[in-house]
Amino acid sequence: MTMSEVVPETTTAESTVDETPRPARTTWRTFRREPLGISALVVLVLLVVMAIAAPLLAHYPTGYGDVVLAPPSGAHWFGTDSLGLDVYAEVVWGAQQSLLVAAASSLIAIVFGTLLAVVGAYFRRIDAVISVVVDLFLSLPILPLMIMVAALVGPSTMTIILVIAAFSWPEVTRVVRSQALSVVRLPYVDAARLMTSSPVWIITRHVIPAVSPLILVSVVITSSRAVLTAASLAFLGLGDPNAWSWGRILYEAQQAGAMSTAWWLPLFPSLAIFLLVLASTLLSTTYNDARNRKRSRV
Amino acid sequence: MSLALFVLKRLGRGVLTIWFAVTVTFLLLRLLPGDPALAIASPNMTAGTRAAILAEYGLDQSLPVQYVKYLGQLVQGNLGVSFSQGISVSDALLERLPWTLLLVASSLVVTVLVGIPLGVLAAAKSGGLADRFVQLVAVTGQSLFVPSVGILLLYVFGLRLGLFPIGGAYGEGVYGGQWYLSVISHAVLPCLSLVLVQLGQYVLTMRSTLIDALGEDYVTLARANGVPGRRVLWKHALRNALLPTTTLVGLQVCLYLVGGVILIETVYAYPGIGRGIYEAVVRLDFPVLQGAFLLLAAVVVVVNMITDIIYGVLDPRVKAAA
Amino acid sequence: MFRPRTALAGAAAVAVLFTAACAPSGPPAGESAVSDATLTIATTTDVVNYNPLIGNSRSDYWITNLMYPHLLSIQPDGSKGPELAEKWGYVNDTTGFYEIKPGLTWSDGQPLTAKDVAYTLNAVKKDKPAGTLYGQLANFDSATAVSDTRVEVKLSHPDASLIPEVGFWGNVVPQHVFEPAGSVAKFANDGSKGGWVSAGPYVLTSVQRGQSYTMKRVDNYPLVPGGKGKAAEVVYRVYPDVNTEILALKNGDVDVIANSLPPAQVKQLQSTPDIKVAEVPGLGYSHMTYNMTKPDLAKKDVRLALAHAVDYDAIRRVVLQGQAVSTGSSQLMPVLSAYYDKSVTEYEYNPDLSRQLLTQAGYKPDGNGNFPLSFRLIYSLQDPVTTQWATIVKDGAAKAGVTIQLQGIERNTYLAMTDKGDFDIYAGNFAIMDDPATNMSLAYLPGGAINYSYVDDPALNALIDKARVTFQQPDQIPIMRDAAKLVRDNVYDNIMYTQNLYVAYRSAWSGFAVKPSELLSIVNPVSVASATKAG
Repeated sequence: MTMSEVVPETTTAESTVDETPRPARTTWRTFRREPLGISALVVLVLLVVMAIAAPLLAHYPTGYGDVVLAPPSGAHWFGTDSLGLDVYAEVVWGAQQSLLVAAASSLIAIVFGTLLAVVGAYFRRIDAVISVVVDLFLSLPILPLMIMVAALVGPSTMTIILVIAAFSWPEVTRVVRSQALSVVRLPYVDAARLMTSSPVWIITRHVIPAVSPLILVSVVITSSRAVLTAASLAFLGLGDPNAWSWGRILYEAQQAGAMSTAWWLPLFPSLAIFLLVLASTLLSTTYNDARNRKRSRV
Repeated sequence: MSLALFVLKRLGRGVLTIWFAVTVTFLLLRLLPGDPALAIASPNMTAGTRAAILAEYGLDQSLPVQYVKYLGQLVQGNLGVSFSQGISVSDALLERLPWTLLLVASSLVVTVLVGIPLGVLAAAKSGGLADRFVQLVAVTGQSLFVPSVGILLLYVFGLRLGLFPIGGAYGEGVYGGQWYLSVISHAVLPCLSLVLVQLGQYVLTMRSTLIDALGEDYVTLARANGVPGRRVLWKHALRNALLPTTTLVGLQVCLYLVGGVILIETVYAYPGIGRGIYEAVVRLDFPVLQGAFLLLAAVVVVVNMITDIIYGVLDPRVKAAA
Repeated sequence: MFRPRTALAGAAAVAVLFTAACAPSGPPAGESAVSDATLTIATTTDVVNYNPLIGNSRSDYWITNLMYPHLLSIQPDGSKGPELAEKWGYVNDTTGFYEIKPGLTWSDGQPLTAKDVAYTLNAVKKDKPAGTLYGQLANFDSATAVSDTRVEVKLSHPDASLIPEVGFWGNVVPQHVFEPAGSVAKFANDGSKGGWVSAGPYVLTSVQRGQSYTMKRVDNYPLVPGGKGKAAEVVYRVYPDVNTEILALKNGDVDVIANSLPPAQVKQLQSTPDIKVAEVPGLGYSHMTYNMTKPDLAKKDVRLALAHAVDYDAIRRVVLQGQAVSTGSSQLMPVLSAYYDKSVTEYEYNPDLSRQLLTQAGYKPDGNGNFPLSFRLIYSLQDPVTTQWATIVKDGAAKAGVTIQLQGIERNTYLAMTDKGDFDIYAGNFAIMDDPATNMSLAYLPGGAINYSYVDDPALNALIDKARVTFQQPDQIPIMRDAAKLVRDNVYDNIMYTQNLYVAYRSAWSGFAVKPSELLSIVNPVSVASATKAG
């Protein structure tokens, strides 16, 4: 378990580190030995670097090119689309938009979802209400609702971020809540309650640190799902027409009827989405496994 | 807890779930921009005609009045009349729902049939090569962008190999036994896509709960008592691991019935309810949207109840309590 | 005790039960001996409305067209030909007439007479359904069946376009089915009361929403040789994704794709074995209008600057793959050969000229060469071609120092915003703009249904009014040319091109009769009824 992370710093945290490695470090050591996990991490880092370094990697795709639907070649690594634009440049710049949507929407969902979860775990009366609301939200048809909202509000990057966030937080709350509940029941939290009357202090100092590994996993999973969702919305015509995203490349390929005839058009953005989601999921399972290694070795 | 109370509580919860879905949909449709009047009255109409049409659909009334009226209609089983088509909403939807149910149900069966052995294999060889391979396969399916895979499958198995027809739920002009074959051959590829995307979640959950179960005392005890490893795995541990995965199946029906199928039905030209919802959104057909979300919520409630029952069958403690 | 199979078997049983419940039974013996072929046609949308007087989607039009005939047909140059009506014209300035073929019947055996025609026109005038026909009836007063085959139309004002336009746009519906249903603006005509009644070559018999619309041959359709359609059945199948639709055509699951092909797919399909591609002449145009109620756009120089900042050639060459022709920035497209005026030329793509015009209008560029001008351009997301060229318009304007914000919206919202004037620049297209006098009065007269630039120019109004009461085409042509030149020179509209469309079908089929526009193309009633399958 992640006990030592929640031990107040004023106590003997320093000395424990020397005697037995902190679990976070143990986790990292176990993690490092998992080739799947490491390669996932490398892929993720590469994708993020690609997004940040987009201006160095390719010119922003704009206007039109003269050779439309050209297959991959030396001049156009990933071929060209139905406007003659370079698909490689679109994928590179699309990473920026796709990761932005993923990061922003999952950040909002995580902050909101975690807050509700820990507050609920701490104040048991609110918890009853929160858990019912979360259950109700989880039984809503999420994607159709997102489509409806995005269509009514009008597609823009902001709309997409907010819509995804608005329907992703209940899952975060559900996952974090169960962990937070068990933390709140631990003796040292009771002890803390005796020492201070400030719930904020206890929640920020004890509960949130205790659930932070779970939040970390949640971030990865939520944002990878957000990428898929944003792509789905874009594919249905509800993406931002003013910015390149992986979903928009796919949408335009679909509109041009080129999905089966120009294989490079759907392939590369799908591959980018695939790598991102695959790496995120593998990363989080390996991380979870590494943390639970002790138990599973019994 | 008495059985009657248990059932009552479940029913109450079901009604609450449906009410919530209906209310959220109603409010979203009314409060977000997007004018329902568009769908039913051309802006070129004279002001008088337009007002008359709006009044006929009750759109000229205040929000609370509309809401109460709407709930009143629902209680009487009246879902209203489609703005764009002028036909009853239940007619527009009920024809489509069975096809989506068929797709989701059959893909679930396949997912469970394939998922259990894969999950067991991965858990038994936890950390080994087989485990890694299964994980990779599972996660791969989960990470696919459905429309791209759909087109690829259609291209390979439909066009190149000619094994399956492209588009629709059945062929025209086939009857009797032939018709069933036609339904099956039309469902194979969309079903396969659904299995691909949902298998991962299932296998991973099965794997992790099995690994947990294998660490439990009673398994150790069983082993100590000389129960063969295979038997421990398949009988004792699996039985426990099936509990959370049952919940997952329930959850997945909800997720895919109501979400993922929109893309699948679009690509495979399958006449299900997901596509119906998308079209209603495009046409701002509020009554159809409200009806569709109500229907989906109802299906979710039914699935949850079934899950509860299966839970009861699986878990002796719940059974005893009931 | 737990058995995993129970749950599975349960789920499977549900599936089986469901399918068992709805397996259709075979056709009754005796009918099964039809050896003729089934023509399967793909479309991308479902039918929204089976009432041809309301329907507005293409599938609505295609399917109802096979059941409810038009009085007149259209030629590639926009002139009208006979269909249900054999003769038509004017008795005097305010009285028109149609003479329909004798001996026509509806598929339920009832005769189709002039009474049905008169009923249809009067009902549309009275109930104001949202379709195109109502818009054509502005100067219509009433219609009377003076015999079984002759309808006389009273006009409230002289209108030279009304008889041909109404004849072309109006479907004739059966009075004995529509009248009992009440208002034609609300009647769903969904076949729920005893099915459909047709006077076309086919009649709709069964519908699987989201999948297929099955139509059976009607025995009496005198508009084709042989008196009935060649194919025994016509099935429309719905493919929401055009990619799947193309795969289905290649696979042979469908025989025809009714919607026009994405421009970039034409070449590819032309070289595909077993597939033929037919060219369908366009009879409409794509355009942009500048909302003149906005202070900046009310200035002619600003509009002209915008018009000169569009790379029209690139749009036609790249987005449309050369499948479009310039109209010389005029409403009088080359296809309207009698009206077309070669001396009117397209706005030249010249961003420098645009800058000059803006400076001349008193705007000053900032340090980056950008003028303090920003406009919002709206277009429909359901229109892939416009969606693509909108970005080229944006990039061109940027070169002239003007910012354009793209706003692609769902079709319904788009139409509403257009009608409310909630835009700076509007981009869109019309499928059929066959009659210049009618279209100019709709597009440029104050209060016109498609006057999206909100123009109100007395000189233009006078020309259009004069054209509407000029009954002889040779007299009308110079008036229309003057009007078109006025529109072009003042940038009251920016007409960009006429798109020639392409549709694909399997080469086993032949005999299609191509008509202009996507609405008619090779799926017009006569064409569908004439199609035959080889072998």
